[in-house]
Amino acid sequence: MDDIVIAILRSGTPLVYVALAGVIAQRSGIWHLGLEGLMITGACATIVGTVLTGSVGLSLLIAILLCALGSVLFWLVVEILKANQIIAGLGLTGLGLGGTSLAIQAIFGSQGAVSAPAGLPKIGAAFGAYGGLSVLVLAMPFIVFLTWVLLCRTRFGLRLAASGEHPFAARSVGAKPAVMRLVALVIGGAFCALAGAELAAGSLQIFSQNMTAGRGFMGFAAVIFGAGHPIWATFAALFFAIVGAIGIRAQLVFGDRIPHDLLLGLPYIATVFGIWLSARLRGGARGATGGFGELKDP
Amino acid sequence: MSANFSAIIRATVFIVIALVLCGIIFEIAGYPGIQTFDAIIDGAFLRRNALEHALRWALPLFITATGVVISFRAGYFNIGAQGQFYVGAICAAFVAEWLKGYPGAVVVPLCFVAGTAGGALWALWPGLLRLRSGADEVITTLMGNFLAGLLLVYVTAGPLKDPSGSGQQASSRPLEAAYRISTSNGVSPTIIGIAIFVGLAMWFLVNRTAFGVLSGLGGRNPTMVQWQGASVWRIGLASFLISGALAGLAGTIELMGPNGRLAGGFLPAHGFTAVLIALVAGLSITGTAIAAFFFGGLASAALYLPVIAGLPSAAIDIINAAIALFITAKSRFVDRLANIWRRPWTTS
Repeated sequence: MDDIVIAILRSGTPLVYVALAGVIAQRSGIWHLGLEGLMITGACATIVGTVLTGSVGLSLLIAILLCALGSVLFWLVVEILKANQIIAGLGLTGLGLGGTSLAIQAIFGSQGAVSAPAGLPKIGAAFGAYGGLSVLVLAMPFIVFLTWVLLCRTRFGLRLAASGEHPFAARSVGAKPAVMRLVALVIGGAFCALAGAELAAGSLQIFSQNMTAGRGFMGFAAVIFGAGHPIWATFAALFFAIVGAIGIRAQLVFGDRIPHDLLLGLPYIATVFGIWLSARLRGGARGATGGFGELKDP
Repeated sequence: MSANFSAIIRATVFIVIALVLCGIIFEIAGYPGIQTFDAIIDGAFLRRNALEHALRWALPLFITATGVVISFRAGYFNIGAQGQFYVGAICAAFVAEWLKGYPGAVVVPLCFVAGTAGGALWALWPGLLRLRSGADEVITTLMGNFLAGLLLVYVTAGPLKDPSGSGQQASSRPLEAAYRISTSNGVSPTIIGIAIFVGLAMWFLVNRTAFGVLSGLGGRNPTMVQWQGASVWRIGLASFLISGALAGLAGTIELMGPNGRLAGGFLPAHGFTAVLIALVAGLSITGTAIAAFFFGGLASAALYLPVIAGLPSAAIDIINAAIALFITAKSRFVDRLANIWRRPWTTS
């Protein structure tokens, strides 16, 4: 039983961080499909940074800075240049995937996987069988709680939601929707960096090309499934992780009778199911937001 | 005409901005920016046989991109071209495998039917989920891409595995020579003919039929379509099916033309590039033909760069991504620039 929970926490924590980033962006009125690109940037920066500097903390800081930079670029394109969020988000994702490939090629001379000498600190033997999990897993519930407080119990969160839902109303009480969105995206970028760091350095300490494999998009789907609420999005992300863990478990149980590659597809199928279910329950993602991919204050 | 011209200037300005961003990224990564672009242009359009190589990539991209145009015009962000492309190729490969030994004149058309139907099928379920339940097609088609990628890996390593194959990447048994519609250089009268036919048919569909008008209208304002007495549902589903079928057709061409076999994860950027082509072309079919040739050149340069210039092929992915980042951007300043010859008092 313990090992299943560990597997769920390991694969679920990056998804939760990415989903939180998506929730914050969605509340500010931006449908953030660039999460995948920021996540892989975070993963790459953490591992490459650890190889080059030897310090995990420093490389995590670099990862957060790079993702914040990517978020500012996304903000410029979406807010100032009014680009379509879906296409620009996919562009940011492509930039992250291509940029990290180019980076490891430029630094290490090959496109193979890179492994780091050290990973994120572990939570330690005091937790028994769970001691091998990284500190980011332990921090996850607290960060979810803090995000909930920030978004649902503070003046800032209210203004952020107003910027997304009714920018004119937000402006009328003195909030600047454009600035709110910048803040939201930068916080979200930092969360994406954490997600990438946990994915790459949480247990394996390895970075390989395209290693996020759609997790950023799954995080985005968790935002829709969770109706843009941090707690529900967290549960949605964990649900995807649970389905993935069941797939891996089924592989051990059934062996070769069910093809391994098809079991790997279970989280994607769960994501489609989640999107379908939330559309059924709430009349479609766009029912809640109006125009998709466009800001409400053109 | 001048409205078109402004649109072209606008697109050009943002593509230049995107390329500058790429240049900065290349510089940071330690590749001299100017020389990199020089090598890319050289690889895309100037080296020997470059135009033929560009055409080899442009033709399938053009076919997929016209499908993307159809669905985007109708207001559906079907970005699952990659998955539909894979499933089309897989279906065609299965038909070719089952009918092994029959003459090419029978098998090849059946493969095309299967590939096209397979692509349409892979667009059908996101279409139904979108139209019946309102499930957002951006995510479902994206997930469809990942699923189709896994399916391709499974098929090439399982049912269609080439037992003699070695190396890291599993691939299917090569097609019989009689079933190939081109050599590995990928340009043959058959493929060019198919592309021209698809281009003309889609141009006609978009510009000269009620479907074209209504789907373009539906993309902007679905209520208007209902007022016209047309069914949003039927137009939407047709858009999904056509876009999927064309992606599947392109997959079939790649299988039976240049590739000759399925390989796990082949042409991973095809669908994304096709979406980009459709957007750069401003969702017009003629524009798609021109843009497809340009991006076809870039795709052929991607193979040439690592060999000649020592640049990773990811450079092309970065260029494509940066263009995607900026292509839908709008700016009042650029609009002013694009309309500079126009008298300020003329309207629109």
